Amino acid sequence: MAHENPTGWKRWVYSTNHKDIGVMYLWFAFIAGMIGFTMSGLMRMELMEPGVNFLPDLFGMTEDQSRHMFNVLTTGHGLIMVFFMVMPALIGGFGNYFVPLMIGAPDMAFPRMNNISFWLMPPAFTLLLLSTFVEGTSGMAGFGGGWTAYAPLSTYGHTGPSMDLAILSLHVAGASSIMGAINYITTIFNMRAPGMTIHKMPLFAWSILITAFLLVLSLPVLAGAITMLLTDRNFGTTFFDPAGGGDPILYQHLFWFFGHPEVYIMILPAFGIVSHIVSTFSKKPVFGYLGMAYAMAAIGFIGFVVWAHHMYTVGLDVDTKAYFVAATMVIAVPTGVKIFSWIATMWGGSIRYDVPMLYAIAFILLFTMGGVTGVVLSNAGADVPLHDTYYVVAHFHYVLSLGAVFGIFAGLYYWVGKMSGKQYPDFLAKIQFWVTFIGVNMIFFPQHFLGLQGMPRRYVDYPDAFAYFNKISSYGYLVTLTGVVLFILVMAMTLFKKKKDCPDNQWGEGATTLEWTLSSPPPFHQFNELPRIK
Amino acid sequence: MNVKRLTAGVMAALVAFFGSTVGALAQDRVGAPKDKGLWLQEAASEQAAKIADFNELLLWVILVITAFVFILMFYVMWRYREKANPEPSKTSHNTLIEFIWTVVPIAILVVIGFVSIPLLYYQDVVPETEFAINVTGNQWNWTYAYPDHEGIEFTASVLPDTAHIAGSQERSEAEQALSTFLGHPAKLNARLLDTDVRLVVPVDTRVKVQVTASDVIHSWTVPSLGVKLDAVPGRLNETWFEANQIGTYYGQCSELCGKDHAFMPIAVEVVSKEEFAKWLEYAKAEYADAGTTAFGR
Amino acid sequence: MAGDVKHDYHLVNPSPWPAVASVAVLLLTVGAVFTMKPDAELFGMTGFGKYFFVLGFLGLVYTMFAWWKDVVKEANQGDHTPVVRIGLRYGMILFIASEVMFFVAWFWAFFNASLYPHMPIANFGDFWSVIGNEAPWPPEGIETFDPWHLPLMNTLILLLSGTTVTWAHHAIQHGDRDGLKKGLWITVILGALFSCVQAYEYGHAAFEFSGNIYGATFFMATGFHGFHVLVGTIFLAVCLGRSYKGHFTPDHHFGFEAAAWYWHFVDVVWIFLFFCVYVWGGA
Ligand code: HEA
Ligand code: HEA
Ligand code: CUA
Ligand SMILES: [Cu+2]
Repeated sequence: MAHENPTGWKRWVYSTNHKDIGVMYLWFAFIAGMIGFTMSGLMRMELMEPGVNFLPDLFGMTEDQSRHMFNVLTTGHGLIMVFFMVMPALIGGFGNYFVPLMIGAPDMAFPRMNNISFWLMPPAFTLLLLSTFVEGTSGMAGFGGGWTAYAPLSTYGHTGPSMDLAILSLHVAGASSIMGAINYITTIFNMRAPGMTIHKMPLFAWSILITAFLLVLSLPVLAGAITMLLTDRNFGTTFFDPAGGGDPILYQHLFWFFGHPEVYIMILPAFGIVSHIVSTFSKKPVFGYLGMAYAMAAIGFIGFVVWAHHMYTVGLDVDTKAYFVAATMVIAVPTGVKIFSWIATMWGGSIRYDVPMLYAIAFILLFTMGGVTGVVLSNAGADVPLHDTYYVVAHFHYVLSLGAVFGIFAGLYYWVGKMSGKQYPDFLAKIQFWVTFIGVNMIFFPQHFLGLQGMPRRYVDYPDAFAYFNKISSYGYLVTLTGVVLFILVMAMTLFKKKKDCPDNQWGEGATTLEWTLSSPPPFHQFNELPRIK
Repeated sequence: MNVKRLTAGVMAALVAFFGSTVGALAQDRVGAPKDKGLWLQEAASEQAAKIADFNELLLWVILVITAFVFILMFYVMWRYREKANPEPSKTSHNTLIEFIWTVVPIAILVVIGFVSIPLLYYQDVVPETEFAINVTGNQWNWTYAYPDHEGIEFTASVLPDTAHIAGSQERSEAEQALSTFLGHPAKLNARLLDTDVRLVVPVDTRVKVQVTASDVIHSWTVPSLGVKLDAVPGRLNETWFEANQIGTYYGQCSELCGKDHAFMPIAVEVVSKEEFAKWLEYAKAEYADAGTTAFGR
Repeated sequence: MAGDVKHDYHLVNPSPWPAVASVAVLLLTVGAVFTMKPDAELFGMTGFGKYFFVLGFLGLVYTMFAWWKDVVKEANQGDHTPVVRIGLRYGMILFIASEVMFFVAWFWAFFNASLYPHMPIANFGDFWSVIGNEAPWPPEGIETFDPWHLPLMNTLILLLSGTTVTWAHHAIQHGDRDGLKKGLWITVILGALFSCVQAYEYGHAAFEFSGNIYGATFFMATGFHGFHVLVGTIFLAVCLGRSYKGHFTPDHHFGFEAAAWYWHFVDVVWIFLFFCVYVWGGA
């Protein structure tokens, strides 16, 4: 097969190479992450003191506009972090780069479709950003109905074009993810190297496989739901409008049928990464490999039948709630299997504490904290005072911002040498870890107290009694900001190095997956001759 | 201000002047967030108390689990650091331990379930109640109606920040109006929690709350009464509460409803049964069948 | 630089189409929004919506054409080795699975409305008096279609087309080019016929698309199905064209198979629509 490899911009724009596409995804996620991070900063600064002061001062807006603006920021922050940072980084970025390497495949199954999966992200993101500049509601710009976009606030509550742009943004991002998911499943089923049975496959590949199934089965339902929003908004249908016999709760069912699997979509790849890192730096094989793989499958499966735990206060009947309580709590069991298996992997190991390992350990501990508060929330009775308060915000940032994002950081430090051929500066990276670690805990730990005391989420202003912990939380953001600046510094120092100083296998005997058998960075086309697995 | 309201105001001023002990007592308890508060707001109903107990149980369970994971992790990190254990073992299976860490969590969850589910049914199944209140969420205030009391109906909106400046004219006016409404001297407690009028209910009385919304979804919440229920347009949701202490209880709208989501608090005044009867007289005169508040969108 | 490739996977050449599609999609979506909201402003501009939309749409159609043309070319030059064909199969099955889930959303909406009907509350003032009244399904004032009339005919048309596409498939497998063409011709015609009947039916609906939940669930569910029929018909028509060009061999005709699978999927969705929406939900 003759094969020209274009250089310059064409190399990236026309790419059919999984590693180049993975790298583009990572850069994309980084940029989106910066924007989402900045938005969270604006929110935290507004919430630093009671009263609506920061946004009006910063943007020279009226108080009314600022109130709406805050909701727009919250919405944008949630959507960006979920759809344009975590998913592109973990699935599009690491998934693309490492799944083919790990299973011994020369590329993805559908390389050209892989590229459109990536290239649909910029228009989707553009649509979302555009939506903040056009009218949302009564003369104010942007959609401020939350990342969940509950109807009717997202239908006749926001009549401007802003919400339409946001809807189509999700359509496009969704199409991208569905194509990506089909690609991963096909690659993993069809392109494993000879001898690599599914039960020998590395856990990261497992995690992406299961994630991809969740995507294929859940995203189309979201697509349907937001299409209903679109027609309700523009063509007079009444899916969610009681005036025509519609039902706003239908939207919530459809959204969460997608939304709950979505949260596992964001965490499973991080599980996979952490498994590799823990095993590498303990110099031991993963403990209970099969249990680990099937625990993820179980989490994915059960994840489809628990959605209404987000809807305990909407007026479901009591038997339904009882079912969802039980089903939701079950997920703690396979997740526990994972936590304990990671610790058991370390048990008896010979553990080195390089930065990826620090992040992985922090992941395990902080994810446990986020997970157990999830179990509190899963009890409909206990959820009554907590639903839609900062307790929930604390819960999901522990699993997302301190879970999934720590997974991203862990993976980046673990693999940046492999991807760029250059090693990161160790000492500075350790400082970066500690600063970030302290910062994010300072942001989100006090939010548990706020939530228990009843502070509702999505509030631009709060009673003065909540001032104390909000202040700590906002200071925590400033600490984290330092961490993020350090992170950029570390990465710049790595990538701008002249010399490629990273050996093929940077981590030694513990690192056993196939990517470590290749050069750093790997050749443009690896495995022209397929590796054989014993 | 109409005539009726004026007389009531004068009455209230008189009551205030001659000192009403009942009124003073009614102000005793305030169910609201406390500065640096770490835990749920104090319960003022059986329901809230049970929820708090259950939450406490859960807190202990998760603390123990988290502590267990942390301690185990720190032990392993220390015991198996590279220096202490240069030769890694190769174990990757142990059926017994895997069995244990599957079954023990299941057992814990089953125990939780046995407390959780009965509590859920206790909260959710509306028992025999004495009367009903219809609550309608609007962008951005709450309309309260008493269908069993000649259709008393009024709307409660947040008081502006300026009403909370100590000693200000606006503050005394707002407190005056509120005292008139409640029939006893009342004072404002907190910015963003106080409303111009309050929902009034008798103590030790089971009240059914029926909640809906006229535009977008809102959520009617009073933490110290253990109630949170979404107000969904086109749907009627039901719950109940029985306040067991006289006092003022605050809550805030808990479903994102647009620009002023943070500015539609809920204030419930729990009064003695006698006082409630008196209040009803006043409210009927003032608000009965007042027609429908500007509904619609 | 490719070196000696010693595997059968298909390393696709770099291609401009994904990036072109990306631009087209942006134009299409922004255009769509500002066509639906013609008075809305984007950075002070109005009225550009329909141009963007048309441009984006044409761009996308062109990209699809060019992209699939490349695929066909690659297939004919032997890039689709047996292992690649297995991959294509997985891909198509998963795509259909995602489509099934898309329809789940519309059926969910339909069953939500029909099993738990809500009284329409046109004016919120009526709410407290309307609430608790039993709401009928189909809603009051909705005159539904007789399922045993045109819908039944359409059911038969689709079922028949399912058999004719299978006929074409068998013909391919036995190298019977003539049978292939005949089978496909009939299938395509039946598909087109279905669309015509449905268009006629829509034109004679006694209820509206907007303003009531019956119309919303009915038209969106059957409408999206109808759209899939169109896509399937085009897909089969392309296969028909390719069969005239001599494409497809008895053991290498995945393009055709994909079209056939898709057609069966569309068929099955219709059966569900027919029995749930027309028969059960219409009475
Ligand atoms: C990565 C994302 C992620 C993950 C992994 C989880 C994991 C879990 N989540 Fe979370 N959740 C979110 C993201 C996530 N969640 C988000 C974004 C929201 C808010 C959405 C919104 O409204 O905007 C949310 C909201 C949310 C709610 C709704 C709250 C409300 O709105 O009122 C609930 C309720 O049940 C819940 C429960 C759970 C549970 C039970 C788990 C479980 O999977 C956790 C399991 C893990 C453990 C339990 C820890 C490890 C286990 C052990 C150490 C074993 C022993 C443990 C026991 C025996 C308990 N979550
Ligand atoms: C993955 C998801 C994610 C992440 C990472 C974060 C990160 C943060 N979030 Fe948030 N958040 C959400 C998802 C996330 N969030 C969601 C879904 C909501 C709900 C929205 C809604 O209500 O509708 C929400 C809401 C939310 C609120 C509540 C707003 C409200 O209710 O009004 C607050 C308030 O403090 C907050 C703060 C923060 C802060 C300070 C950070 C961070 O600043 C913490 C520190 C983060 C980092 C240090 C990571 C930075 C990452 C990068 C820079 C990318 C790097 C990537 C590569 C290199 C590839 N977030
Ligand atoms: Cu009303 Cu939030
Ligand atoms: Cu969930």
